[in-house]
Amino acid sequence: MMLSDYKGANLFDELVDEHGRIRPYYRGVAEKLSGLGHDELNQKLRSLELLFLKQGITFTVYGDEKGTERVFPFDPFPRVIPAVEWEHIEAGLVQRITALNLFLYDVYHEQRIIKDGVIPPEVVFSASHYRPEFIGVSVPKDAYVHVCGTDLIRDRDGRYLVLEDNGRCPSGVSYVLENRAAMKRVFPQLFGASGVRPVDTYPADLLSTLRHVAPRENPNPNVVLLTPGVHNSAYFEHSFLARQMSIEIVEGRDLIALDGFVYMRTTRGLRQVDVIYRRIDDDFLDPQVFRKDSCLGVPGLVDAVRRGNVALANAIGTGVADDKVTYAYVSEMIRYYLCQEPILDQVPTYLAWRDADRKYILENLPRLVVKAANESGGYGMLIGPTATRAQLAEFHDKVSRHPRNYIAQPVVNFSQHPTLVDGSLEGRHVDLRPFVLWGDTIKVLPGGLTRVALTRGSLVVNSSQGGGSKDTWVLAA
Amino acid sequence: MMLSRVADHQYWMARQMERAENLARLVRVSEEMLLDDETLARGSAHEYWTPVLAATAMEGAFRSLYPDPQAGDVARFLTLDLRNPDSILSCIRQARENARSVRDKISDEMWSEINALNLFVTSPEGLELLQRFPQAYYEKIITSSMLFDGITDATLTRDEGWNFLQLGRLLERADMTSRFLDIRSQSQPTTVDSALESLQWGAVLRACSAHAGYRRVHGGEISVEGVVDLLLFSNEFPRSVRHCIRRADEVLHDISGTPTGRFSNPCEKITGALLAKLSFAGPPEVMARGLHAYIDELQVQLNAAGQAVFESYVLLPGEVGRHFPRGSRPESLADWQREQQQQQ
Repeated sequence: MMLSDYKGANLFDELVDEHGRIRPYYRGVAEKLSGLGHDELNQKLRSLELLFLKQGITFTVYGDEKGTERVFPFDPFPRVIPAVEWEHIEAGLVQRITALNLFLYDVYHEQRIIKDGVIPPEVVFSASHYRPEFIGVSVPKDAYVHVCGTDLIRDRDGRYLVLEDNGRCPSGVSYVLENRAAMKRVFPQLFGASGVRPVDTYPADLLSTLRHVAPRENPNPNVVLLTPGVHNSAYFEHSFLARQMSIEIVEGRDLIALDGFVYMRTTRGLRQVDVIYRRIDDDFLDPQVFRKDSCLGVPGLVDAVRRGNVALANAIGTGVADDKVTYAYVSEMIRYYLCQEPILDQVPTYLAWRDADRKYILENLPRLVVKAANESGGYGMLIGPTATRAQLAEFHDKVSRHPRNYIAQPVVNFSQHPTLVDGSLEGRHVDLRPFVLWGDTIKVLPGGLTRVALTRGSLVVNSSQGGGSKDTWVLAA
Repeated sequence: MMLSRVADHQYWMARQMERAENLARLVRVSEEMLLDDETLARGSAHEYWTPVLAATAMEGAFRSLYPDPQAGDVARFLTLDLRNPDSILSCIRQARENARSVRDKISDEMWSEINALNLFVTSPEGLELLQRFPQAYYEKIITSSMLFDGITDATLTRDEGWNFLQLGRLLERADMTSRFLDIRSQSQPTTVDSALESLQWGAVLRACSAHAGYRRVHGGEISVEGVVDLLLFSNEFPRSVRHCIRRADEVLHDISGTPTGRFSNPCEKITGALLAKLSFAGPPEVMARGLHAYIDELQVQLNAAGQAVFESYVLLPGEVGRHFPRGSRPESLADWQREQQQQQ
């Protein structure tokens, strides 16, 4: 691999500094990578792709009639994060999930933050994932967000910024683990004495997080993973995690709620369920309470949750915290609940429902990124600078008509990382999704999913929109 | 104890894999026969395939999809046609889909094999092989299924899931072996050409990988009675109906913990009765009753056994249809379910 030809750009480059010198913490891996011949590298890449395909490590692309399964494109050049940077990120994430859980407890109980005028009531009450029916309902250990996947990007100074919090059912962690396993198998020589922190304790940590909220005094609670089913894009991940944790992966039809308890249907009759790690959105959980036509959920599940006989992770109603409008207030939450200054910065955000902000958004559309407040996966988004006239007009109309549904942010030309494209290295934009677990202690998985926008210049890293991923190395020292 | 749905997936994963393998055996042998069959000169290749379609209960489906059949249509229909829910490709796809649903319950090696076979059958290499050297293509499917069986044997924990998997494979194998026997009785029953007849019975034996087994017991000369004896009543030959039913009966008792010779649910009752019937009869009884009629009865009982497994272990009475809107058709139901799974 030729490193000498690689150039930085007019933005933060993960590998080289502004003088084009390789950053010290990248030297080890860069040296080993450049030692690989062109043919050897290609051969390894082919065997990697074959490995993923043969193991069925795929995701499903929608929009296509049959929901084609694809391999998540993988780039072999690992992203390296030095220990000191990671300490900063970790502290920031712990602070953030703490504030989000306090916020969720508050909005579903006393609503002090609203009464004290820190967050306008409309922000909470108009969020589409706000669940007023859960006001006053206690959840085990007051834990709402048990698993959080926070997206980070780096601006041109290399500052880590929070782009969004995913506090409902964040996905991607299985790729973190599978990417590492694949790298070890195909590029063992890269690891050497590099001091990369392991990621494979995640399933055990997740399991103890889930057991922590089991409602009964039971040394061996029955924890299950609830999946929408094999046609879901993240099904591979659901089955991967269930297998790693040795718990049952269930579909709605496997569960039955009777007299306020939830059971699973086995060949030997019914068995009580204590904790459900659900990978289904609130809307589909229980046709008696939410969407009536849901065939994925369990009628009576919500009643069992209310009675405290079964715990859900994440809890119902966490979507109000990862709403893109709420996002604009997370720094305020941190100051309000924790009396601390936020450790991680955020991207400045304009809220279309505020008159001055909307005016600014509508006048500056070509320079902004506009996002639907409640969408994820890169759907419902406008990137001003690359948008067509028609797209701009469409969003002008949408924002004017449904201001609550839209926010806008300046385009952050976030950092790039060398990526193998047709045999040579080119810079491609990357983000980072670390995973945080909120159990009896807060654990941050060292690393996370680094997603790469494989199209030159593209800022969209989502797998559904042509993104790939790479292994992420957090160094021990 | 295991999830009922998982038991169902394990059962069908094995059953569809076995079905794909047996169909591949059938097509391979039939195509081979086609090459040296003199009747070809007299009739059309299509007529030759009619008994194959009849024995596998696919004649109606074929006629409606191919009202004006051309050469090669039957093989296409049986092999790659996804409109035929029982084609080799459909079976492999369904087996793989079932495996995917129990991905966490089977070994990595089992998953790799079934996934690799699924990729192979429609890969450019696979299709080219089918075009230029069909025998090798079917061979590959057969070998892969047997490999899957071997991997399962060598890697899967002997728990309840294993038992359901065995059950699926054994019931399907018994069913297919009996269908193979019926092919011969479906084609011109009045034939007097004994050379041709022994050639055809030889093909049936080959389709069941039973040639060597036959020679050991009955010597070189192939007779109807000998073939029936081996494929229906042999206690030792692993693809015989009796052998499969005996094993299935053992597996069922293993699942329920009931001592053999008694029954605790309808499926044990059916396999027990079937086993007794096969243990105390032989070719003379079959010939007296007529091969086709005998096999027809057998098939009815095999179907009942499969249905009873489902009712005893998978279905909770009164639970059927609780999620589905009234009046929806199965196809639209599947689409609607898929759509919701994707919305997540």
